[in-house]
Amino acid sequence: MSLASSIRTIAVWEMNRSMTTMGRHVLPLAAGLLVLLVLVTAFAAQSGVHMQDGMYRIGIDDPNVALVVAPDNRFTTYLDDSTALWENRLAYDIVILRGEVYAADTDKGRAALKALERDYEGYVSHVATREPDLFAAYPLWIDLQYVKSEIDFLATQSGQQVGAPADARVPPVPSGPVEAVTVPPSAMSVSEDDLREHLAETGGGHPLDRYTGIISGDPAMDRFRTPSELSPPLPFDALVLVFVFIFPLYFTSQFFMMSVMNERVGRAGEALLSTPVRPAAIIIGKALPYFTIMLLVAAAITLFAGAPLTILLPLIPVILFFLANALIIGMASRSFKELSFVSIFFSTLATSYLFFPTVFANTHVISIISPLTLVVLEIQGDGFTAMEYVYSTALFFATSIILFYVGTVNFREERLFSEKPLASRLADFVSGGIGRDHPHLSLFLLSAFTIPFVFMVQMLTLVLFFNIPMPLSLVLLTVSAAFIEEFAKSIGIYAVARERPGFLTVRNLLIGAVAIGLGFLAGEKLLLFATLAQITESIFGSVLFLSLQVLWMPLLLHIAGVLITGGFLLLWGRRAYGPGLVVASVVHSLYNLHFLMGALL
Amino acid sequence: MNARHIGLVAKKELFGLSSEKTIVFAILLQVFIAMFSSFLMVGLTAMYDPEAIEGYSTVAYGVGYAGAESPLIDEFEKRDDLILHRMDLGQALRALRERQVAAAVYVPDTPPDAEEPVTITLYLIQNDLQSSVINVKIKEVLQGYERELREVRADRMTSFPVGLNFPKSRGGENFFEFVYGLLIPLLVLLPAIVSAALIIDLITEEYQRQTLETLMSTPVTFAEMVWGKIAACEVLVPVQAGVWLLLLGVNGIAVDNAAAILLHASAGGLFLILLGALVALHYRERTSAQFIFSTALVVVFLFVMAVPYNPLNLMVRLAVDTAGPVHWLILALVAGATALLGWTVTVYARRVGEDTPGAR
Repeated sequence: MSLASSIRTIAVWEMNRSMTTMGRHVLPLAAGLLVLLVLVTAFAAQSGVHMQDGMYRIGIDDPNVALVVAPDNRFTTYLDDSTALWENRLAYDIVILRGEVYAADTDKGRAALKALERDYEGYVSHVATREPDLFAAYPLWIDLQYVKSEIDFLATQSGQQVGAPADARVPPVPSGPVEAVTVPPSAMSVSEDDLREHLAETGGGHPLDRYTGIISGDPAMDRFRTPSELSPPLPFDALVLVFVFIFPLYFTSQFFMMSVMNERVGRAGEALLSTPVRPAAIIIGKALPYFTIMLLVAAAITLFAGAPLTILLPLIPVILFFLANALIIGMASRSFKELSFVSIFFSTLATSYLFFPTVFANTHVISIISPLTLVVLEIQGDGFTAMEYVYSTALFFATSIILFYVGTVNFREERLFSEKPLASRLADFVSGGIGRDHPHLSLFLLSAFTIPFVFMVQMLTLVLFFNIPMPLSLVLLTVSAAFIEEFAKSIGIYAVARERPGFLTVRNLLIGAVAIGLGFLAGEKLLLFATLAQITESIFGSVLFLSLQVLWMPLLLHIAGVLITGGFLLLWGRRAYGPGLVVASVVHSLYNLHFLMGALL
Repeated sequence: MNARHIGLVAKKELFGLSSEKTIVFAILLQVFIAMFSSFLMVGLTAMYDPEAIEGYSTVAYGVGYAGAESPLIDEFEKRDDLILHRMDLGQALRALRERQVAAAVYVPDTPPDAEEPVTITLYLIQNDLQSSVINVKIKEVLQGYERELREVRADRMTSFPVGLNFPKSRGGENFFEFVYGLLIPLLVLLPAIVSAALIIDLITEEYQRQTLETLMSTPVTFAEMVWGKIAACEVLVPVQAGVWLLLLGVNGIAVDNAAAILLHASAGGLFLILLGALVALHYRERTSAQFIFSTALVVVFLFVMAVPYNPLNLMVRLAVDTAGPVHWLILALVAGATALLGWTVTVYARRVGEDTPGAR
């Protein structure tokens, strides 16, 4: 059978199997739940969210004033006469006596006061909307315009504070050319009735309201606002995108994870493995239906949200990444509960990797390490270049392909049906990639293949430490980067030493260390020059990718690192792996810090 | 049913959890989230209440001003964190692009008492944290100007709102509503959801691995086995939720009535666990069970949130000490519903145990 036809057979078989098991038992109940969901959503829309009801106690002496807080469930209102209220004032968070507001001097009192101030604003607006002369009630309208500006990533290097200007008191003198600008017209371009309608829609405003309207949007009318309607535009709105796009994709990848796991439960996949179909065809065939479904789900969401279909391009590597990880987790977990916990853990990591960089969309080049940033840019209508696409997706493509490869190599009986703990199964997977005939070539390739993962983890630490003050964040970055690299380099040696203790001789260790050091350097160079040139320009980049300037120095460093860890393994056995790793990381960090100081001073 | 048997099964499951080190992942996850805590605090609070981020900024910002003279200039001069620079519009926009000013305003020459509104154009940098801070500061200036204009045009108004005099705001960031009104109930709810997912794994695994037969050859009955697993999952709920509350306490967030909150969490958690157990007993297969359960969870959650005095709301009220004795009544109601569900699970488990002794 050719590869293509066996892939098709497996894919059709996978579709049929999951559709029939799911179809007969699950679909009726799922349909019932969907109907319930619609009913409950309608009920929730009617009744509102009752999460924060009755948080604050407010005492009021005038029923007219009580109307101000009437629509706000957060307040429990007590109407009483002034003297009684004043005597019991400690029982309330806020007391209003003859129009004077008194708030308790606690965090709670201040929070209540803030809520009341906003309710009062809403109430005043509500009264003003009914004025016959709208422009007497709302004399001031703001036309909000956004200007694009990217922080120069090199700015931090020259000691400039990003964000706030150096000294606001000095009149600014723009250095670039000044373009001619058309002065905005002074007349209002929107009719009075439209404005009135707009005001009626946006009355009140609970903090959570802003998130309910993001996807649907309110286009033309949003340009003109009254001052109290000005609401800070937050880059964090991208979180909504994570929920809308990433969660359904992740959820679907769970089915693939379960399908892989099910092959292993009770040796169900034994029949499949005994057929002449190659493991690659089995894995691709099994993954294909889920890949298609995920793509369709993403396309459906895109069309529903009215976004351009080009945003599917950056989502493809994300889909592949989820599937590749689902494969490995499904192949490595011992039990269902392990599967659940590991996949929850993975999803948290992946979501933060995808989400946190998008916070800096438009402000920092760093944001481009997440494909979601491209989605944000595309939805904003800015688009992205082919180069940017390569930057942000290369790591995802590379890691997914490597993970699929690891899965294929290890899709064998003795690996799938063993009952070892997670860590040693993963070590098995690694040693499965090390050939007996050419161990040193394998070590070379293995360490080159770890590079995309190393970069991904380092990127995550970069995002993590981004908001810690400058010198501390650099030290933390240096140390963690060194540890990650040493760990990645050591896994090959460790896996070999575990499976074939006799292999680890002085001679083999020396050759192996050179092979690993070379492989690591080669992989680093290749990937770096291909993709991350932009980020390496920044000061943070120079910490992570310090070893690029001179070639032989980092090579010696990489080899020395492996030799230290390997030496510990050779001398004191596998229990010394941890201490060896720590010593190697310390040496590595010292080297990095030395060069960094040189670069900074 | 024999309590000792249930205890034995529960102990076995808890032991399995710790020997598999899966619980390590759960702990890692909590540490990982805690690592983000500074970011989470600032970031999530800002997401909940954008105006809170104003408190983080102590720098003075430059603002480019173009167009006609207006009383707005005086409003700006009242503040020492915004410094106005008069320039023409093209220059101001260029300076804004280069981040030499943080915002630019253009004011037309509409007189304050004109028929038509005064339309000010405000230029900000798109999608930028700094713009969010500036936005809040300028909003206050513009609101001041709006009040002034309203006074000028007051004779054209017909009705007047009730006047309220607010004390001068003491300013500063305020996490209160976000922490107590959102974070605490969600953190306490999380262990309940995790435990409910866990019970599905534990039950379906016995079926799919065909280990039921071995288990049934012991004196433990099927219903006792199910309840043992439920007990193991239930124990984790108050423990994990309690750890969250302790962690919050270490961070200086005092939570009132912690014991009562944990009681509510345990009762609600047991309800979800029983729901998970029922789904798992029905499907006996993880994929379908987890799928149906997560859909059902969304329905239950949406419904509960829409009901006044729901357990999550009670947790909020308890945490800020405004609950009153009514929460015991709700707790009793939830416990009653849980007991009913527990009875259903027992009956169902007995029937399953009688129909199919051993494996499927």
